[in-house]
Amino acid sequence: MARLKTVRAPTTASLPNNLRIPSTTPALTKTLSKLSRPALLDLALIWLEDHNVKSSPPYLQPENAGDNDEETLPYPAAETIAEVRQAYIDLRDRKCGKREIIERILEGDWRHGISLRQLAMADLRYLDDRPASLRWTALELNRLDTKPKKKGEDTSISELDWSANIPRMQATSFVKALQSEIAPLVKAHYHLARSSTLPLTILRIFIIDSPYQTPRQQPEIFTDATRIIYIAFPDSCPYFYTSSITTSPAANASTTTGSIATDPRTLQRLVREAIPKALSRPHDRFTLKPTALAAKNLPTLLALRGPGRSTSSNGAFSIFADSALEGSPLDPRPSNTVSADEHMRGRDAAPMNEDKENADYPDASVKPVRSTKKRQSGSTTDGTLSPDSKKRRLAVESRFGTVGSSIAPAPLDRLDIRLLDTLNANSEEEADSDRNAATLTPAVSLTFSGSDVIGGIRKLAEMGVVDPERMPSWMTGEEAVSTAFIRAGKRVQVDG
Amino acid sequence: MSHKMRQRDSPDPEEQELDTDIRSIRAEIQTLQHRKRILTTSLLSTKTLKTHLNSAKQQQSQQQLSSLNDLSPLTTAASSHTSTNHHRIAFGATSFPFKDPSPNTTTPNLLGIRIDVCARNGRFAKPYYILLRQERGRGEKTKRLRVHRHTIPAFISVDRLEGTYLPFTRGKDDDSGSDSDDSDDDDDAGSGPVKKGGGKGRGKKQDLLAFVRELRRELVAWHLRSDAVEFLREKLGLLRDDGDEEDGETSRNDLGIVGFEATALEARYVRVEWEDGRIGRFKLSNSGKVERAVFMNDRGRDKQVEDAVMRGGGRIESLLERLKSIS
Repeated sequence: MARLKTVRAPTTASLPNNLRIPSTTPALTKTLSKLSRPALLDLALIWLEDHNVKSSPPYLQPENAGDNDEETLPYPAAETIAEVRQAYIDLRDRKCGKREIIERILEGDWRHGISLRQLAMADLRYLDDRPASLRWTALELNRLDTKPKKKGEDTSISELDWSANIPRMQATSFVKALQSEIAPLVKAHYHLARSSTLPLTILRIFIIDSPYQTPRQQPEIFTDATRIIYIAFPDSCPYFYTSSITTSPAANASTTTGSIATDPRTLQRLVREAIPKALSRPHDRFTLKPTALAAKNLPTLLALRGPGRSTSSNGAFSIFADSALEGSPLDPRPSNTVSADEHMRGRDAAPMNEDKENADYPDASVKPVRSTKKRQSGSTTDGTLSPDSKKRRLAVESRFGTVGSSIAPAPLDRLDIRLLDTLNANSEEEADSDRNAATLTPAVSLTFSGSDVIGGIRKLAEMGVVDPERMPSWMTGEEAVSTAFIRAGKRVQVDG
Repeated sequence: MSHKMRQRDSPDPEEQELDTDIRSIRAEIQTLQHRKRILTTSLLSTKTLKTHLNSAKQQQSQQQLSSLNDLSPLTTAASSHTSTNHHRIAFGATSFPFKDPSPNTTTPNLLGIRIDVCARNGRFAKPYYILLRQERGRGEKTKRLRVHRHTIPAFISVDRLEGTYLPFTRGKDDDSGSDSDDSDDDDDAGSGPVKKGGGKGRGKKQDLLAFVRELRRELVAWHLRSDAVEFLREKLGLLRDDGDEEDGETSRNDLGIVGFEATALEARYVRVEWEDGRIGRFKLSNSGKVERAVFMNDRGRDKQVEDAVMRGGGRIESLLERLKSIS
């Protein structure tokens, strides 16, 4: 299997899908062992599907090769693809460890190497299974108005398409455009796939600083997480998410010894900046805008910067996003007599499915368990709580709406707050020392971190640790950001 | 009890059967209770009951009146709710006051606007809300409305709509026109039970009515587009199973279309796929017409299909008939 000596010339093409990483690379084992056992088996079977098998063919018994040393290997090569497929289907029923499957993949069926595409599929599969495995930053695509607006254009207003503020993206042509943006600077491998669990299209870009089609770097570099950027495009909204850079300082130091252009951080910035350019068309330009939101959980990002209703109504306003306030205009019951829970649930089915006559019944059949539970918990707390804490509960509900409750989970794992209030802003004693205090702005930074920051604050408010009536609105998640500058309780934009 | 029993490891089949029985009975009870509530509240708001009560009030003596008075809060609540609903159904856009609970806000009184859109199946989609705050511009006397929060899907650009119809900086439109519009708007909402909350200091060049109208039009158009796609999918028999090819060809869908779906949430572009590999894509306008169409077969652009799709006004509803006529 010695590779023919080829001419190595720098090109601008992307790294080929079928570039194989030697399966002896220890890092490959590490990458694959992140996946769960069923995921691994699934993945192997997906690799063997008809439309994938061309780009990731398993190692088969050579047609007329004598059985020299094949027999001695633990995994004899199969003769047909169907045979390989069957082997993995059998493995599914058999009891065997994850290790064995990985061994079979690397030493048996793909002993000649795992292709870049296969590696990308493995990584995306991992992402599907663990949506909180990476940290994501949300960015907004802003349309640049190329034509300066004139006052005389009022006639054309009615013809304006208000829902055309999203860049139309056709996956392959976008990747092509992106490639032509990046190509002169770095070499990359692109893999675009649809997330199986979320309404997202995920692009995985692996970047390498070599102009050659078959780079001579160490094979470890192909699994280097710092060289991989994920970009997730949610459906129908002007946002996209990029995976944040998570370099350990040590790894960073070792890579920056080279030129600046080879630093993964720089490479990632290059890619990020190329995205709006790749999405732009003549007379239709986009720029990037930061949205001050980074979170670990993809569903959180989808809720806060996604196509849905909750993108710009959070915190106290989440009752509107979930329409927990009022029912449909066809509901004869006065809305204050119906629980918020029922409002939200009754509606989910409404716009999409079922014929209207029967639609109420499946809904109703779901109800008993939950609503009785709710009633029970409500009654027990009501029974034991003093009117004071009841009032507090109402206040908490009015401040947080449905945020942080189990119904609408969008956990933020980190919230950075910078307070910009000056010391003398609200204390009278310091009025006389105005000349000093005017410039005295203490740097107060608050960082909350945990599995669900806003939900935690809500719990604190429910317990009475935080005064729900006096706390500023950023504590309720109303701003839907993870970093904010706050002055006098309100979020302010700080340039730079 | 039944909660615990629900676990699958419960060994006794008889017990399980009883459990399912209990569960189904509970569901039935719930359904009936639900129905009873709907019926009682509907009954409370009927006109007959109201006139009956009114006539009874006039005729009955003083003692009986008190018992009737007990009933009246219920009937008033029910009737006010009904008339709210009537406004929501008839006008589609209603307003309400909302108080921002944030202690730091400078504009606690918000004007809420609720937009109801009726979908194809006769149900109403989740209402859309926009909350507007009043803000005073630099060096201005009057307050102007700005969008504070909203639940409009992200593909409709509220920012651009706001920039056009609710400009925050000084505009040059004529004052009289928008003023009269505004008063109309007040009439619509004011006659209903929903009170107009703090729409007083509205800037003169801002046109709230046009803003809401355009926004609602966009939302309705979106619902119509996705409904149309859904309708055609239903006709093609693509709704239940995902394109079973042999079946689709013979019985339900003699056009041989195996894929018919909107490319994205906003249902602006629709992708069509035939079982023989032909594909096509067309753009749907807000008024339900096919605006542009590209269909490809093995040799390239399929002009015949494209013509058929665009012909006769290009209505989306009759698209399949037109495709049938050429095949």
